[in-house]
Amino acid sequence: MVTKSKLKMALAAEKGIDFSKLKQQKKSKEAAKRKASKEQNGEDESDLDQGGEEVDEEKMNLDAIYESDTSESSIELEEKIPRKPKTTAQTPAADVAADEEEEEEEEEEDEEEIPVSDLEDLEEEEKEDIVPHTRLTINNTSALLAALERIAIPTDKSAPFASHQSIVSATETSESIPDVSDDLQRELAFYSQCLEAVRLGRSRLISEGVPFSRPKDYFAEMVKEDAHMDKIKAKLVEEASNKKAAAEARKLRDLKKFGKQVQVSKLQERQKAKRETLDKIKTLKRKRQEHNSDVGTKEADIFDVSVDNEIAKHSQRSGSTRQQSGAHAPNAKRQKKNEKFGFGGKKRHAKSGDAVSSGDLSRFNVKRMKSKASRPGKSRRKAAALK
Amino acid sequence: MASVYKSLSKSGNEKPESSSNGVKKNKQRVLILSSRGVTYRQVMRRSTDHIVIIISDSTFCRHRHLLNDIASLLPHSRKDAKFDSKSRLGELNELAELYNCNNVLFFEARKGKDLYVWLSKVPNGPTVKFHLQNLHTMEELHFTGNCLKGSRPILSFDAAFETQPHFRVIKELFLHTFGVPQGARKSKPFIDHVMGFTIADGKIWIRNYQISEVEQSMLRGNGEDIISEQTATGSSKNTDINLVEIGPRFVLTPLVIQEGSFGGPIIYENREFVSPNQVRADIRRAKAARHNARTEQTVGRLSKKSDLGLRSNGNRRSKDELDKSALFA
Repeated sequence: MVTKSKLKMALAAEKGIDFSKLKQQKKSKEAAKRKASKEQNGEDESDLDQGGEEVDEEKMNLDAIYESDTSESSIELEEKIPRKPKTTAQTPAADVAADEEEEEEEEEEDEEEIPVSDLEDLEEEEKEDIVPHTRLTINNTSALLAALERIAIPTDKSAPFASHQSIVSATETSESIPDVSDDLQRELAFYSQCLEAVRLGRSRLISEGVPFSRPKDYFAEMVKEDAHMDKIKAKLVEEASNKKAAAEARKLRDLKKFGKQVQVSKLQERQKAKRETLDKIKTLKRKRQEHNSDVGTKEADIFDVSVDNEIAKHSQRSGSTRQQSGAHAPNAKRQKKNEKFGFGGKKRHAKSGDAVSSGDLSRFNVKRMKSKASRPGKSRRKAAALK
Repeated sequence: MASVYKSLSKSGNEKPESSSNGVKKNKQRVLILSSRGVTYRQVMRRSTDHIVIIISDSTFCRHRHLLNDIASLLPHSRKDAKFDSKSRLGELNELAELYNCNNVLFFEARKGKDLYVWLSKVPNGPTVKFHLQNLHTMEELHFTGNCLKGSRPILSFDAAFETQPHFRVIKELFLHTFGVPQGARKSKPFIDHVMGFTIADGKIWIRNYQISEVEQSMLRGNGEDIISEQTATGSSKNTDINLVEIGPRFVLTPLVIQEGSFGGPIIYENREFVSPNQVRADIRRAKAARHNARTEQTVGRLSKKSDLGLRSNGNRRSKDELDKSALFA
């Protein structure tokens, strides 16, 4: 891959320069350079490590319980790795395979550098090797691993758990999430992952003698201040009360509905009872008419006693119910006064006779009518007067 | 009294740590920053990794609250003022060095609605760029969980983080940034929350739970046996653990990993990612297509009408030979 202008290419062709050879030479030179720099780097790092240890020893005395340690002042930054314009910085750990990878990477970079316009000038054979100018999926595994190795904090069993407190779950959580948009299931999966980590971490920390649970009398600043927690509490209370109020309202509504039903059914019942009695009366009347001509009819039948009974019963019932439903009977004093001065109903014509009073023969007594001494005749009366 | 305790604990502590002197100590500090557009400024650092959290200038208030939440969870962080450039991110390295931080958490807001998060190890990288979605801050979630400000979290990673190299790098960066290093300044001695990182659907989901321990003896209420056992062992095996969510919640989609810190060659790129701009443009285009179809229809109808001579200003229909007016003229 050569990036030269047309003119230069033509010149080179005339001179008979072999580009591939030149390129190889260049590469070998670069490789040598890189090796040298790597050795240097390695030394640097080892120096660095020593420096780090010194600082570490200073920090040894830090106890987890202390809030006022000196760590702020003792952060040591990695020494900056000098970066050449093109080659990527590599740690000594990167092996031969990484080198190869890097070469590939360089080639990629070279490829990217070719402008599309120059593609036309190249010969057919060279064109075949060139990947068209698209964005490639970049996933440079070796470089990633090298970077990881450079920054990694030991989290394996050699380091105490308290130094990193990280736990990788045993199973992939995504397996237990069939659908990411299902909130409940997803959150449950997250929760169970964390819970598992906490169980494990807790036992490890306790076995390492690190204080885990906060004693009840340890008060300190919290992430959420009291005001915030109060707000949350208020919100919870409000939610609960809203729920309660809604439930009560529903209950009331239901009761109302039920009450209406009761009222309607009572009315219907009353109607029904009335109808029944009327029917009975009718049937009785009919019966009476049918038996009218019969000689052997009983007097009761003749005088419609049963009908009267029925009517009386009905009126009694209705009256009684009226009295019951009519709620308050007036008190004794009132009753007396009502009796005395009259209450309710018309006051006019109260003493005039009507059909009932004229028909009323209850006070009629034949004996009394007869027992009166008869008036004597005229002569007897005269004789009596003379005496 | 405190000084006596300090000296005692010092002497007591030196031994176990010196025995493990081969192990490099976890020291982090985080710088938290935002870009312009985050309307409030915040920076975080990490303690054995010190972190700088920075916001770019245009992040809006939700993003700002997230920044506050994260800053309150990370005692080893340092919030810094908004960083007013989105192009010269390399300057963040110097800024972090200035603040003595070896991690940077940079919130970059675009168009006041999209939030990108950069997570970087300072001098030498790598740097990961995420797109942040589904953001719910502590304030709006109303979760009842709470934890000590600055207590060290247990970090729970999904097993999927170990499967691919780029996920491993991301996990390491999370470990440095969100794990509070041992003995960090301002960190509290007890452990009362857990941070969960889960990979689902190609995205990283982050949750934060409070660990609440309930003694089973309290629950059962039966027997002095349990209590006596507990006091004897000292440890509390008889506790039930349950989690209460604290918040915030968010989802990160990794976009790009660079080898250097805010620079250097790209060593991973997520091709499945569709930028929110693209999504919005597609939606707009679909809407426009509907409108275009409708207008086309209208134009077609009008032209048809004018062809039939039904419009006053359209062309008249040429008279047919068999037209009534021609025939009976």
